[in-house]
Amino acid sequence: MSRKRSTAKIKDKLFKLVAIAFTTIALLSLVLLIGDILIKGFARVNWSFLVNLPSRHADQAGIYTALAGMVSLLVFTMITAIPIGILSGIYLEEYGKDSWFARFVEVNISNLAGVPSVIYGILGLQLFVRTTGLGNSILAGSLTLALLIMPIIIVSTREAVKAVPDSLRQGSLALGATKWQTVYKVVLPASFGGILTGIILSTSRAIGETAPLIVVGALAYVPFIPEGPMDQYTSLPIQIYNWTTRPQADFVTNAAAGIIVMLVFTFLLNAVAITLRNRWYKKVKI
Amino acid sequence: MTHLESELKKLREDTEAMWHLVISQLEKTHTALTDFDKGLCREVIATEKRVNSMELALDRNCEHLFALHTPVAIDLRFVLAILKINNNLERLGDIAEGICKYLLSEDQAYDKQLVTATQLDEMFVKALAIVEDTLTAFQGEDTKLARTIFQKDEELDVINNLANQRLTEYIGQRPDNIGQALNTLSMIRRLERVGDQSKNMAEEIIFYLEAKVLRHGGNKKKKLH
Amino acid sequence: MVQKSQDIAVATANKLSANRLSLYYGEKQALRDITMGIQANTITAFIGPSGCGKSTFLRCFNRMNDLIPNVRIDGQVTLDGKDIYRKKLDVYEHRKNIGMVFQKPNPFPKSIYDNVVFGLDINGERSRSVLDQTVEDALTKAALWDEVKDNLHKSALALSGGQQQRLCIARAIAVKPSVLLMDEPASALDPISTAKIEELIISLKDSFTIVIVTHNMQQAARISDKTAFFYLGELIEYTDTGTLFTNPQREATENYITGRYG
Repeated sequence: MSRKRSTAKIKDKLFKLVAIAFTTIALLSLVLLIGDILIKGFARVNWSFLVNLPSRHADQAGIYTALAGMVSLLVFTMITAIPIGILSGIYLEEYGKDSWFARFVEVNISNLAGVPSVIYGILGLQLFVRTTGLGNSILAGSLTLALLIMPIIIVSTREAVKAVPDSLRQGSLALGATKWQTVYKVVLPASFGGILTGIILSTSRAIGETAPLIVVGALAYVPFIPEGPMDQYTSLPIQIYNWTTRPQADFVTNAAAGIIVMLVFTFLLNAVAITLRNRWYKKVKI
Repeated sequence: MTHLESELKKLREDTEAMWHLVISQLEKTHTALTDFDKGLCREVIATEKRVNSMELALDRNCEHLFALHTPVAIDLRFVLAILKINNNLERLGDIAEGICKYLLSEDQAYDKQLVTATQLDEMFVKALAIVEDTLTAFQGEDTKLARTIFQKDEELDVINNLANQRLTEYIGQRPDNIGQALNTLSMIRRLERVGDQSKNMAEEIIFYLEAKVLRHGGNKKKKLH
Repeated sequence: MVQKSQDIAVATANKLSANRLSLYYGEKQALRDITMGIQANTITAFIGPSGCGKSTFLRCFNRMNDLIPNVRIDGQVTLDGKDIYRKKLDVYEHRKNIGMVFQKPNPFPKSIYDNVVFGLDINGERSRSVLDQTVEDALTKAALWDEVKDNLHKSALALSGGQQQRLCIARAIAVKPSVLLMDEPASALDPISTAKIEELIISLKDSFTIVIVTHNMQQAARISDKTAFFYLGELIEYTDTGTLFTNPQREATENYITGRYG
């Protein structure tokens, strides 16, 4: 074998080893983190933990209200963000393509997706909590979160719609369909998988947000279940955060347990959404 | 049936129609000779126009078939064969017309002795049979039958070869009827060509079916396989 | 005055016609002063080298060129004697009367059934029996019924290329248009599928007026009644197919069809 060939072979093997090493490091870090949490909190996760109200006593404290708050927040966030996000995405991609307005919006949306989430909290505080007088209600929190995740939904909707081949639109129009009929009957169904992905991503993001919620007034200690959108609330990340600030060691355990519940919740949500998306792709692709 | 197949079918049908027409021309000519019917001769001459226009139509159809369908393999050989058979049939039509002209040029029926001595009538019958057999071979895509045409043509050649001598004898005996004698010689020559044309057509049939070229010395006498 | 009445005569005698049609993409002129008439229930082929404007011209008949920005039309295009670029024309209704089949089969990612009924669905047809019957008729006419009748609810994308194209043809004819425009319908298919599509197109002649753009001259020769040769946006020669391929009048035409072009 020539000199060059053997050097190339060595480089090849080296690269492989380096890649494996780095992957291992990354995975190891993840394993260590999760392992640590599990060790700390696994024992604490039981039925009472899930259904108890918060308490000053660590062993009596539970995440019931936090869960309720999180679910309520999620519902209202989705109701607001999904329709607006999808329709905006469709408008930008199908209708507004060449207008200055669309381009202006497009540039800004890309920027918005990268803005730190706490900024949204400040915006929400001024706009929803104070100016419109919603106070520190679930509605204010949801609207703030909706603003935060909307760019994600818009961008993924746009990408999904863009990925629909133009030949399908042409085929539809050639049959005498109007633009709206084409969007509604051909483009949307074909891009649904991508749109669903966007919704999944944004849901995961919304669940895990802590900073903006603190800014708009999610309380740390909420001993009641929110009954309406105007009620005060808390959410699981906030509850966890709150526990980690307490000095007692038992609260650290609680925090770890809360994190485990959060992780499980996130995984479940993703799993459901991914299953739905795969089922959809199967219908559409084969 | 594909578009090309239906075009080829039509080409075959048109060719067979022309073939039938030419056979009827020869049959009428034969009857005109036997019965000395000048009216029939005129009919044949008038119908010759139709034969010619059929030739033109077939040529045009073949041209279109080549241009529009670019046939290959057996379809290509078939159309090439039709082009040639077309010409052969047209010449058969000419032969019938020509013989009729010889009949028209005489005022009286041809001398029976002349006709018998030269085997003119027999030759006519054989010639007609050859043309009919070739048509049958074409219709049935029968190369076996086609190959028998070569032998049958030889029978016509025999009569043709004897004609000179027989006519010389006849003229010796009947110098007053030299006109009819000479006409008879011409008619015999024409009928011999009927055999040649049929032979050509048989060669084309074998060509398109077997892709064998028998023209100019290809092995005609080979036993059937 | 005489010119105008001649134009009207051309327009009314033909199913489709173009009269001094020019088309511009911005500054660039893609079609130059085209005048021709297409009779009902005929198959007309448009041939010519790439970029000669044959597809552009085809798309004028169903106003699909409207979708391209900066397109401008001069002259007239008529269907059944009426100008299709007139202000009052409802483009959507017009397109329902003209079916189009594209080069690359483009079935929707839906079931075979839903693909075929799409045209009726957008017209608001909801009757199950009407839809079922239409599906059977259209697929039968497109020579696809026997192959798919037991699998109507399977995805259209599971079909082979040739089957997909026949499905697109079924979809186009399901709304019973009077004209079928086909833009190189067989160019993306293998020879056997191509042959099937060609036989299918011939069989549709009785019910539709068909215009087919093709870069395959032999295909044009095999299936069309009249052929139009285009070059650099101009209509060079338009005559009976038999004549064009045996004795073209223009040298440019002869150069193209004999392959001496370029």
